[in-house]
Amino acid sequence: MSKQFSRRDFLTLAGVGAATTAILTGCGPASRLVRREPYLQMPEYTYNGLSTYYATTCRECAAGCGLVVRTSQGRAIKTEGNANNPLNLGKTCARGQATLQGLYNPNRVRGPIKHKRGDRLYDTAADPFNDDFADAQPNMDWDAAMQIVADALKNNKPEEIAFLMGMAPDHLFDLVADLANATGINAPVRFGALSMFESRATLSKAARNLFGQTGLPLFDVGGAQVVFSFGANFLETWLSPVSYTRGFSGLREGTTKLRGTFVQFEARMSSTAGKADEWVALRPGTEAMVALAIGRLAAESLGITTPKVFADVDPVDAASKSGIRLETLEHLAQMFANSNGALAIPGGAALGQSNGLTVAEAVLALNALAGNFGKPGGVFFSALAPNQTAYQQPASAQEMADFVQKMMDGKIKVLFVHGVNPSFELPASLNFTGAAKSVPQIISFATFPDETAMEADYIFPDHHGLESWGYQRVATGTKESVLSGAQPVVTPYYDTRATADVLIAAAQLAGGKFPSALPFKDEVEFLQSKIAPLMSETNGFFEAADINTFAAFFQQYGGWWKTIDGRNVPNGADALNRSISAAESKFAGDGKFFFVPFVSPTLAEAGANKPWLQELPDPTTTVMWNTWVEINPATADEMGLADDDVVRITSDAGVLELPVYRYPAIRPDTIAIPFGQGHTAYGRYAEKRGANPTDLIGQNYNEAGDLAFAGMKVKVEKTGNKKPLSRLESIMGVYGVGLGKE
Amino acid sequence: MIKRIFDWLKQPLGLIAVGIAFLALFSFAAYGISLTQTSPAQPIQFPHKTHVGLGIQCLYCHPGAAKGPSAGIPAQAKCWACHNQIQKTLDSQQPDTQFPLLKPLVASVKNQTGLQWVPVAQVPDFVQFNHRAHIAAGQNCENCHGDMSKQTVAENPQIFNMGFCLKCHQKVAGENHDLLVKLTDCATCHY
Repeated sequence: MSKQFSRRDFLTLAGVGAATTAILTGCGPASRLVRREPYLQMPEYTYNGLSTYYATTCRECAAGCGLVVRTSQGRAIKTEGNANNPLNLGKTCARGQATLQGLYNPNRVRGPIKHKRGDRLYDTAADPFNDDFADAQPNMDWDAAMQIVADALKNNKPEEIAFLMGMAPDHLFDLVADLANATGINAPVRFGALSMFESRATLSKAARNLFGQTGLPLFDVGGAQVVFSFGANFLETWLSPVSYTRGFSGLREGTTKLRGTFVQFEARMSSTAGKADEWVALRPGTEAMVALAIGRLAAESLGITTPKVFADVDPVDAASKSGIRLETLEHLAQMFANSNGALAIPGGAALGQSNGLTVAEAVLALNALAGNFGKPGGVFFSALAPNQTAYQQPASAQEMADFVQKMMDGKIKVLFVHGVNPSFELPASLNFTGAAKSVPQIISFATFPDETAMEADYIFPDHHGLESWGYQRVATGTKESVLSGAQPVVTPYYDTRATADVLIAAAQLAGGKFPSALPFKDEVEFLQSKIAPLMSETNGFFEAADINTFAAFFQQYGGWWKTIDGRNVPNGADALNRSISAAESKFAGDGKFFFVPFVSPTLAEAGANKPWLQELPDPTTTVMWNTWVEINPATADEMGLADDDVVRITSDAGVLELPVYRYPAIRPDTIAIPFGQGHTAYGRYAEKRGANPTDLIGQNYNEAGDLAFAGMKVKVEKTGNKKPLSRLESIMGVYGVGLGKE
Repeated sequence: MIKRIFDWLKQPLGLIAVGIAFLALFSFAAYGISLTQTSPAQPIQFPHKTHVGLGIQCLYCHPGAAKGPSAGIPAQAKCWACHNQIQKTLDSQQPDTQFPLLKPLVASVKNQTGLQWVPVAQVPDFVQFNHRAHIAAGQNCENCHGDMSKQTVAENPQIFNMGFCLKCHQKVAGENHDLLVKLTDCATCHY
């Protein structure tokens, strides 16, 4: 402070200044600085400050869980389950929650693109805060795009046109099936990595062999007392995880019955096995003999004549080959025999063996012994969805290999791809990407710039699932027959078009047989034509006298379902009389280790581009953002491997290098790798992360044509490199880490 | 130095200077305050009395009042639904005509730009006002917002302060002690 201007002077001046400011500015509403801009077109039922909720269906997997999406001012902000939908009863899995993030993915395809095969569709090196980051930008308009599709339809012979579609959505599959029926185009082929790892063809073939009926078996876990699961990881991704998880809580609840017991049989403890009372780590390839041995021992403990189906097995031999003590098998057999609610479920890696069909039949035969067909806690056939006359199975891996061969032979001149990413989901050994070179024109309808879109000549992006109309049949998981409905919850953000609309318009443009094949104005008219027959069905969740009212209810409730039990009862009369071989399965390759690829429970087949799922720790290892190989610590010690050491895994089909996770809950002679990462495209969050274990899988099939994905033996070698895995857990103190005992 | 200034101010010239400065400050402040109390300029100087005079209900344009916390400002589509059929609006689309109220509306619809209204009936953020409860209790819009059949551009007939709210709350509660407690509890509005 100077002599002229003291501190007191300063404070006085400051006080006077502050007071003046306060007087002059403190009055009147600050609203002058605020502007309110209402909607241009606001839906009649939307109110300021209140969210609007729309019922739709999740498209992240084939299950068809109903969603209710909360939107605020035209933006979707949260997904929750639809409490009315009998499949999920208000619950969602992690992928259902994350579907919202896919809607806002910055690398979405924003409009029709004419594409040079192999060219990048987006630039991850660009500054993400800069608007102009060369993302999948459109370079065509939709009129030209629809003309291209129309030309493809009319200028090629029908038998040279093929559609490859995903497990969802069903309405588009129906549209293409109708188009194919009317015009002679090849019937659409549908496939997904999940259906491959679930071995759906095996499951339904086994059911057909044992019961003489077609359908997808449904296992009533909730009503059972003792559940033996052979590899079916039904708490993670198997078939319909939300509904099976609900069943599991019914098993455990014990309010009207005793708390149920759960035993999981697999070489690697999944998080499903982590919830089991006993985890039986049998040797891969011995699933059939273990199931039959338990059946035989159970029959013996019940004092009945050994049924023919269990006659071929020798429990002592089974015990020694599987590595399970005979006493354990006997104890399990007694548990099964003495329960009045025993249920056995075949699935997962057990069916992905060369004798997967045998395994499925053996496990289903256990249910025959328990006599639980059609009873609470037993085996049923899933209710057919409304309007469905027969169970439609997705393509098996063998059928996909045949399809790829057709491509390779040049028999397919134009290929349309929607809802599936075969360049990533199919094993590299099937060489879809190579066969694509022999297809003159590939048109992708992908919403995200995935690996298959990279091989396409045109990308005509479909809306995101949350921006789409449609329906999805619930193939399994409910007592009732359920058709889950989808409607847009937001206006589409980009210049995308519903693929159904594109095909309908292209059919009109193509002329000839095409316009009458799809005589609809648009997708909504097509959907209404498909749901109109439901109005005359009885026992529906709602009724309406005219199609407009019915369609309004369909949208409001998120679908239509019956209120009565629609399950079929398997005819198990001959199940115990079959001959089932107790032989071990055969393995391809000559390595030392059994190889178990499993679907990542957080990512599943399409989750890698959603950071919420990437950030979600794997339930058993807590690893995020990466792929790892699980090796038993004793084996790792023998090989001198520490955590994060990179190893080279070689099969007779491919090679991978991955960091090690020392996982005690896996057999010492087995390694496991999660499936979900290893993308080379699919957006900035997915690409260049981890590795794809299907690169190791060769063209080996089980008797039903499903991939024997767990029927390989691999070599594991040290590389000397390290690659740290990001884990949520701290490994300090675990198995001696950091305590000088490593 | 300050002391020297204060000494000069005690002189006659200084006192006059102080007087002028004080008057200037006072009139400036008064003007400023008067500015804040007049209704702000809106993108369209919307004549409420014309529309109310035609028999249009408050809740037709502001349905949110009956349904939730915020009454809301109508979407462009609500205006256009009627106006695209009204002769005067069609006339206003002719060039070289003066329609100061309709031309901005037509322009915003043709260009698909929104109209940015300035909210008038505002309360501070710490007040959680909910329209629905008041409509449900049978209150009329004009009790707080004034008689719209006499207003053009929206303006507040009184200041929305706590005293205004509580006076009515106490009157409505009357002898009912439970209701009085509910309506005068702090947390009813300040949660």
